[in-house]
Amino acid sequence: MESVTGGTSVLIVEDDRKILRVFLTSLEAEGYRVADASSGQRAIEEVRTRNPDIILLDLGLPDIDGLALVPTIRAHTAAPIIVVSAREQDADKVRALDAGANDYLTKPFSVPELLARIRVALRSHAQVGTTPRTIISFGDYRFDLAGRRLLRQDQHVVLSATEFKLLATLARHPDEVVTTTALLKEAWGSAHQDKKGYVRVYMHSLRQKLEIDPTRPRYLVNEVGLGYRLNTTG
Amino acid sequence: MDPARNARTLLAAPIAAERGAWRSRAALGRDLLGIAAIAALTSFGLWLGGRKDLTNTAIAYLFVIALVSMRLGYLPAILAAIASALCFDYFFLPPYGSFNIDNGRDLVTEFAMCGVAIFVSTLNERLRKQARAARLGERRTESLYALVKALADVRTLDELSMAGLRQIEAVAPVTAHLLLHNGGEHFQSAYSSTGRVGLEAEDLEAATWAADHLEPVGQGTRNLPDAAACFIPLVVARGCIGVLAIRSRPGVLNEAPGPSSLLRSMALQLAMAIERSMLAEAKRHAEVEAETERIRNAVLSSISHDLRSPLHVITSASSTLVEQRDRLPAVARAEMSRLIHEEAKRLSELLKSLLDVTRLQAGKLDVNRDWESLEEVVASVLRRLEQRTGLVEWRLRAHVAKDLPVLEIDAVLIQQVLMNLIDNALAYAGGDLPIQINICRHDEDAVLVSVSDHGKGIPNDELTRIFDKFHRSRGSSGSGLGLGLTLARGIVEAHGGKIWATPTPGGGLTVEFTLPTTSAAPTTTEEGLSEDARAWSR
Repeated sequence: MESVTGGTSVLIVEDDRKILRVFLTSLEAEGYRVADASSGQRAIEEVRTRNPDIILLDLGLPDIDGLALVPTIRAHTAAPIIVVSAREQDADKVRALDAGANDYLTKPFSVPELLARIRVALRSHAQVGTTPRTIISFGDYRFDLAGRRLLRQDQHVVLSATEFKLLATLARHPDEVVTTTALLKEAWGSAHQDKKGYVRVYMHSLRQKLEIDPTRPRYLVNEVGLGYRLNTTG
Repeated sequence: MDPARNARTLLAAPIAAERGAWRSRAALGRDLLGIAAIAALTSFGLWLGGRKDLTNTAIAYLFVIALVSMRLGYLPAILAAIASALCFDYFFLPPYGSFNIDNGRDLVTEFAMCGVAIFVSTLNERLRKQARAARLGERRTESLYALVKALADVRTLDELSMAGLRQIEAVAPVTAHLLLHNGGEHFQSAYSSTGRVGLEAEDLEAATWAADHLEPVGQGTRNLPDAAACFIPLVVARGCIGVLAIRSRPGVLNEAPGPSSLLRSMALQLAMAIERSMLAEAKRHAEVEAETERIRNAVLSSISHDLRSPLHVITSASSTLVEQRDRLPAVARAEMSRLIHEEAKRLSELLKSLLDVTRLQAGKLDVNRDWESLEEVVASVLRRLEQRTGLVEWRLRAHVAKDLPVLEIDAVLIQQVLMNLIDNALAYAGGDLPIQINICRHDEDAVLVSVSDHGKGIPNDELTRIFDKFHRSRGSSGSGLGLGLTLARGIVEAHGGKIWATPTPGGGLTVEFTLPTTSAAPTTTEEGLSEDARAWSR
């Protein structure tokens, strides 16, 4: 359809033939080159031989625990991994993200949702390797990571040190979910692993400063049970 | 009257009857005492010169026999009568020192004295028997009354068994155990007066014999008298429900306990009480079964209707696409596809709520508590609802107080509660007024969340019932399974909160729930949080 997707290869790791059929059809219709693997073992071979640009990984596989597969794949390739899980596997999603997956999708999801996530993952991945962005813009805001300042239409927004660290961590992975655990590690160091309450408290004060309606945040979007996402497109 | 001695007489009496003439050492002593009294009177009479006044001597003998009869009992009195007849003849009637009687008049005196003595003794014995029977009857009535009263105060089978056994043990110096069938063929449980005991210690063979033959067996009976205890079957209208095992209390020197009529009566009372309790239990069980069955039927009919209708749409629309694809105009194909998509989403939502409730019912709903912010939970709910239903923003109005503490909750579950409440509000709201979501401090220990709509509301008598499983308000369109509020209540209560419904002022329904706060909730002023004390800016 569009040249952006032309030649981009997607590996789908999924053992359900029917749902695989649906994904193949819709992804090919969008112009992606699609390969599939129905087991963990096959997935590793495919990653090694074909070196796909993005990997869609179902956590419920017949042979290997999908969760254990994330670090293995990560060892072979830096390509983005999107994990797909059932609703009961909330804890697994967080672990997969912490293990190196880039995003997640919960069954049942729609095809447009899948395509959107693939586009976001590919876009942020394309920026990796190039010079890291030091200025991230979202809405009226310009966040200058190197200059350590946040501007709203050229006005300074006063942030505390912790608020800055949180926002900086999110800004380094724009539009990707950063788990609460990862935020804790970045902002407070690993000593505070069990203190998720502080993340909530400081995210609250960040929202109070940045959002017009904190119950309908445009930029600092939370994913219940997972973490936060800095939305730069909204 | 000493109850223990009384009880011993109660227990011993039937045993004496069953074992024939059996006399204790005490009874022998009483016989000798009676004879000794006659001997003493004879010596005294001789010393006073009783040979001169035979009439008074005879009356003195009669008097002593009457005394013996009153004090010592029937047999001593008869023995005393025989002894006095012999003594009177030998010592007082001429020729002295011989049993011969010369004078016809003396013979009459001798026989008259003997006859009167026996007559008086018999009368006395009859009186004594009557008195004893009256005492027995009174004691028996008292014991049974105490038993019935004790049994009336308790409900469960365990309490009943223990109370009954305690009453039996209060009446006699015995240890009583109860062996019950509990509806089975073999004995299933055993009780002592203090609680449940193992069946191992019981003589099950003898107990089974008693239950099979509906007759007392073991000690003090004709059947298996060598058994470890006396077993009395508990017989009610529908047969034997168990066996009462009676043993002498260790350390009490006493005759082996037998199945006295009092014990049998007490066993019968206990049997009837246990049967009543079992019947009541069976009735309660049947009611629970019926209720479960009713719910199951409701689930089945509800499921088959609610799940079948979207499935029906999907099947028809998809088959249309498969069979008539080339003949359908593009608009119709798009319409069919959209229908499949929408109904599949609905089916998925229905199944999800059903699974949640099933998990809640099975007690498998894991509450994974962590520090969470209700502001974020609300934000996530609003985003999901607006994405899913394409709602315009003004339909949902949310206000979250700024100074709320973070709570220790399962955010995924509380998100589900809010989704269900708002879904419900949307379904019944109607009109052009928005749904109001409000979160504020309730009191020191809780946060209050409320969801208000301005729809038709529901009748007051339904305010509590809307939380029941499969309850649907009258006049509802009924697109859900009626499980949303049930699930909400289950989740809120699992968090230690409360949920209730009130009418919205000016019309509509408001559902409110509380969530407990924790005093140790983290705040931005907390110590040990890096260099955050000084605000950073440039």
